[in-house]
Amino acid sequence: MKNKRVEKLIRDLSADYFVFAPQKLGADLAPGYEYGISEVKDINNIDWSGRVPYGNWKEVLLPHHERLFDLKNGELIKAKANSPLIACLGMNILDLKALTLFEQVFANDVYYQERRRNLLIIGYSTGLPNDYKKNKVFSHNYKEDILEHVVFDIFITSQSNGKIALYSGSEKGQKILEKYGLGDYQHIEFSGPVAESGPDKRMASIAKKMENSFNHPVWDDLNKRCIACSKCTIACPTCFCFDLEDRNDPADKSRSRKWSSCFNSDFTLIAGGQDDLDTVKKKIFFWYFHKFVRIPKEYSLPGCVGCNRCTLACPVGIDINKTIQSLMK
Amino acid sequence: MFNIYQPQKAKIISLNTESTDTKLFRLALTDKKNQKEFNFLPGQFVQIGLPGWGECPISFASSPHQSDKYFELAIRKVGQLTGQLSELKKGDLVDIRGPFGNGFDADLFKDKPLVLVGGGCGFVPLRPLIMDYLADKMENTVLQIFYGCKNEDTLLFKKEHASWNRQAELNVILEKPSSKWAGKKGLITDLFKNRVITSNSIAVLVGPPLMYRFVIAELKKRQITDENIYLSLEKKMYCGVGVCQHCAIGPYYVCKDGPVFRWSDIKDINNII
Repeated sequence: MKNKRVEKLIRDLSADYFVFAPQKLGADLAPGYEYGISEVKDINNIDWSGRVPYGNWKEVLLPHHERLFDLKNGELIKAKANSPLIACLGMNILDLKALTLFEQVFANDVYYQERRRNLLIIGYSTGLPNDYKKNKVFSHNYKEDILEHVVFDIFITSQSNGKIALYSGSEKGQKILEKYGLGDYQHIEFSGPVAESGPDKRMASIAKKMENSFNHPVWDDLNKRCIACSKCTIACPTCFCFDLEDRNDPADKSRSRKWSSCFNSDFTLIAGGQDDLDTVKKKIFFWYFHKFVRIPKEYSLPGCVGCNRCTLACPVGIDINKTIQSLMK
Repeated sequence: MFNIYQPQKAKIISLNTESTDTKLFRLALTDKKNQKEFNFLPGQFVQIGLPGWGECPISFASSPHQSDKYFELAIRKVGQLTGQLSELKKGDLVDIRGPFGNGFDADLFKDKPLVLVGGGCGFVPLRPLIMDYLADKMENTVLQIFYGCKNEDTLLFKKEHASWNRQAELNVILEKPSSKWAGKKGLITDLFKNRVITSNSIAVLVGPPLMYRFVIAELKKRQITDENIYLSLEKKMYCGVGVCQHCAIGPYYVCKDGPVFRWSDIKDINNII
């Protein structure tokens, strides 16, 4: 997409914001893995294809390692917020869905909220990209009203005729568009993460089927193949498990939050030796259960946005779509 | 915005060695107003921590009816943090977050016989219920206590057993007692032999998962319904507020939806006990 108005907006924003966007990260990366999220140094590197980049926005929303407290004289003092102004440019609908879930999960988390306040969310879509269609985990509904149920400040759609359409999804978005002379936008009022017609029906049917499915052969099959490497949990835009870690050495005295993974060997290990997730089968079931049962029950939202990153990440070729298909047969 | 991860300081006002590896900490929040307003239910827990050593969940060992002045935690030295805690002295400070979890809803126990079954150091969360019963704060018809432990050295709250036995039925059994032990020897399920437990009883179980399996089977023989069996689960936890996922079981979080569950609500969760 070459659009002078969008390019001007990016240049204007970069006066105040660090601009992050999907970009090709390196020439030597294997096909399918070459795109990720990084700071925009050259406007021409931004990927406007609408494809789902392999890298995701999680690092911006929930840093891999986040200092919560400084440890001073035996007291935990809240660490100073390090929340730069970041414009998240070109978040696709699936990643906006992941963000919308995070907004529910971290609603009472002061660290997330402080960081979030300084993020400007600029969604982007090329209409109905073919990429989305092949991801059949959920029956995505790409009608216009999808924008009413995802969180964003500004949304840009590029159309086949080369023109763009602009939407605002928040007061913050409106102010920015007005400020930079892009007044021809349509405002979309966020009407909550769940559609008026109720929670996703496919989500409900998967949850029902999965809930008591531990003895289903699909998990035995995955048990044989999965090597519990945890790559899927890193690639997934909705995986948000974390550990709290204290450090008390001269170089670092702190309590931090770190990404965790339910595939880690100590994820459920307690002092005394009891370990709930002591087999790969239990771990992989736990991972699917969180996305397809626990999150839907808790937030009425799917815990999987259907981005396919876990399938790409998996070194033994486990395909989330096929897992769900086998389960639903 | 309130920081859910910010602990507050509590002072150790007294310490009592309960067993070879367990100490009873009596704690008061250093902010007197906060302590006065501190309230919890039996079965709830706090995250107790030491800066630099992390936090761990510990259930209340004392009755909420003293919570305006102090609260008690029985801490067994089993890991790094609890090892550090066990070195502390009267007057030292610890970090506290909470209370967390649902606790026991005493209203559901009303007017029914109450059966408490505790195994090992899992017995601790039952003490608030016993204290409340002895202080006439519980509206139960009778109280039966079944307590199984390894040996005399690990038996908790020994000084209180005589008073418990006056107003309630206390049954203690040790797995590997010394030759001086005059009481019963065996596993906790052996205690149920020749004991009348009425089918309308409410049973509260706290102990290791293996104990649950055998005790539940025993209770089922007495026609106690799954709805009337409560158990408290112990899991790894970090956040305490149902986000970090470490304590998730099926659709529930032990930190938020538990740690107390009705057996009927969790019995279908795979590998639950």
